[in-house]
Amino acid sequence: MFASIVTISLAAILTNNFIFSQFLGICPFLGVSNKMSTATGMSVAVIFVMTMASAICWVINEFLLIPFGVAGFMQTVAYILVIAVLVQFVEMFLKKAIPALYSAMGIFLPLITTNCAVLGVVLLNTQNSYNFLESVIDGFTGGIGFTVAIVLFASVRERLEFADYPKAFEGFAICLVTAALFALAFMGFSGMKIPV
Amino acid sequence: MNAKKQLTEGLITNNPVLVQQIGLCATMAISTTLFNGIGMGLSVLIILTCCNVVVSAIRKIIPGQVRLAIFVVVIAGFVTIVDLLLQAFIPALSSALGVFIPLIVVNCIIIGRAEAFSSKEGVFLSFRDGVFQGLGYTCVLVIMCLFRELLGSGTIGGGLLNGANSFITLDGTGAGIRIIPEGFGAGALILPFGGFLTLGLLMAVMQYALRKSSEKKAKKEKEVKE
Amino acid sequence: MKKAIDFIKPAVILLLVAAVVALVLGLVDMMTRDRIEAIAEQTKTNAMNAVLEAPSYEALDVTGAPADIDEAYAAEGGGWVVQVTETGSQGAVTMMVGVNPDLTCSGISVTKSSETAGLGAIASQQSAAGDAFRSQFVGQSGTVAVTKDGGTINALTGATITSRAISTGVTAALALCESLG
Repeated sequence: MFASIVTISLAAILTNNFIFSQFLGICPFLGVSNKMSTATGMSVAVIFVMTMASAICWVINEFLLIPFGVAGFMQTVAYILVIAVLVQFVEMFLKKAIPALYSAMGIFLPLITTNCAVLGVVLLNTQNSYNFLESVIDGFTGGIGFTVAIVLFASVRERLEFADYPKAFEGFAICLVTAALFALAFMGFSGMKIPV
Repeated sequence: MNAKKQLTEGLITNNPVLVQQIGLCATMAISTTLFNGIGMGLSVLIILTCCNVVVSAIRKIIPGQVRLAIFVVVIAGFVTIVDLLLQAFIPALSSALGVFIPLIVVNCIIIGRAEAFSSKEGVFLSFRDGVFQGLGYTCVLVIMCLFRELLGSGTIGGGLLNGANSFITLDGTGAGIRIIPEGFGAGALILPFGGFLTLGLLMAVMQYALRKSSEKKAKKEKEVKE
Repeated sequence: MKKAIDFIKPAVILLLVAAVVALVLGLVDMMTRDRIEAIAEQTKTNAMNAVLEAPSYEALDVTGAPADIDEAYAAEGGGWVVQVTETGSQGAVTMMVGVNPDLTCSGISVTKSSETAGLGAIASQQSAAGDAFRSQFVGQSGTVAVTKDGGTINALTGATITSRAISTGVTAALALCESLG
């Protein structure tokens, strides 16, 4: 039990990092990583939504979709609806509680709905037939992995502003090249596992 | 808006991947063989076109507050249909693309076009928009696949060409046409690293070309004025 | 009163759209389900036939076996086919391992994996390199390991972790059959 939790966490944060090895959640990753403050804000929202979505989707799949025999074709529809509602909830909460953060995140908050890392994590949970605890852990640590990636990247990007690179690389192009180097570094973690 | 302008927008000036910079995840993740690239590109093209048409057809009765939820449900519906059909008829493609088929639901290209275009324009224009934007996406995927596959594994058309029984196969067993001898490819290009790098370079080339062409245009206009 | 209508109308429309989508999906599912199941069945039988040919297979009870063993079958005419899942470099690697009655490996086939394309993925590909890699396992017995770990399996270039995972899987399958047979 403990071993499987450690293995899942390790994979989600380092070896199978959603951004650098699975290519999930690239849009918000590039979109909000230009400033450290928005990057951390976005990360907190993503961790929350990913954990909650993993938990709720597991329950829905196990107690609604599978008993009614519709898991094969209603899964994607049901999951994306759960995520959309959750995001709406986070948005309402932030608007009231932390207006500064709400305005800083601007367009990217509703975009968590279309953050493929969130839908990706719940779909992969189902595919790997994780139990409830494993799903929640995977969602939470997946969010942490997203945070690690985006915070590291934001700190590099703040320095990129002073760098002198060819004009054609302006914008996302130079970010992608930088992210490529990150991906190479994260490959060093691959195959790491806890001896059981 | 005429068809030719829409086509250039989809393919070049407003290309979904290289200019609007959306839908990047799947572009980088699956562009390792031509089979994956064409399969993914066409799946997105079909889903995008269907969603555009449906959203445009029901745009007058969609209430503003829940429009995103409705778009998402419609998109998820079409994605699931394509997913089931692929599983039933081209299982090799379905297993090669794996989770990235259901993830088309959150491909920003589709929801982006629904929000920006088809929820405002007529059915026929939306249909054309879907086809052309889908083509733009497919083209970028194919270019990335050709580049990464050729330099990374040294073949062209992996999974699609040179199959066991015929030249073109749909069961994913084709080994591709070998251009660079085995073991001499730059294997790193097939890794996630290569995905990021290739797309970054492609974007830079696109920005360079677009800037050159707009500079040329500006120069011409200046000459005309003088 | 007007407020209530403002609230209800969007909800009803959303519900209608969702109902239509569910209906259509149900229809498509009905049309494709049999075919998808048949394909899954066919793929499995093919994989089993590829590692140990037999006219039929009988499923065995594997409760209590190590966690990496998924399923085990006794082949008609002797021998076993075991489905094992190990952790590779990019997640789970599921393979079928055929075992002869004399407890040697009769062949392997990787049925499901998400290993790196061009490196670890070669293990599951129908190519000369893939066949060469997999054929090394034929005839192996006892503990199977890659050369780096003191065994005899030549690992795939740049994919020691995948090769190691497959070796572990074959070892686990052989051990299971020893306890069965």
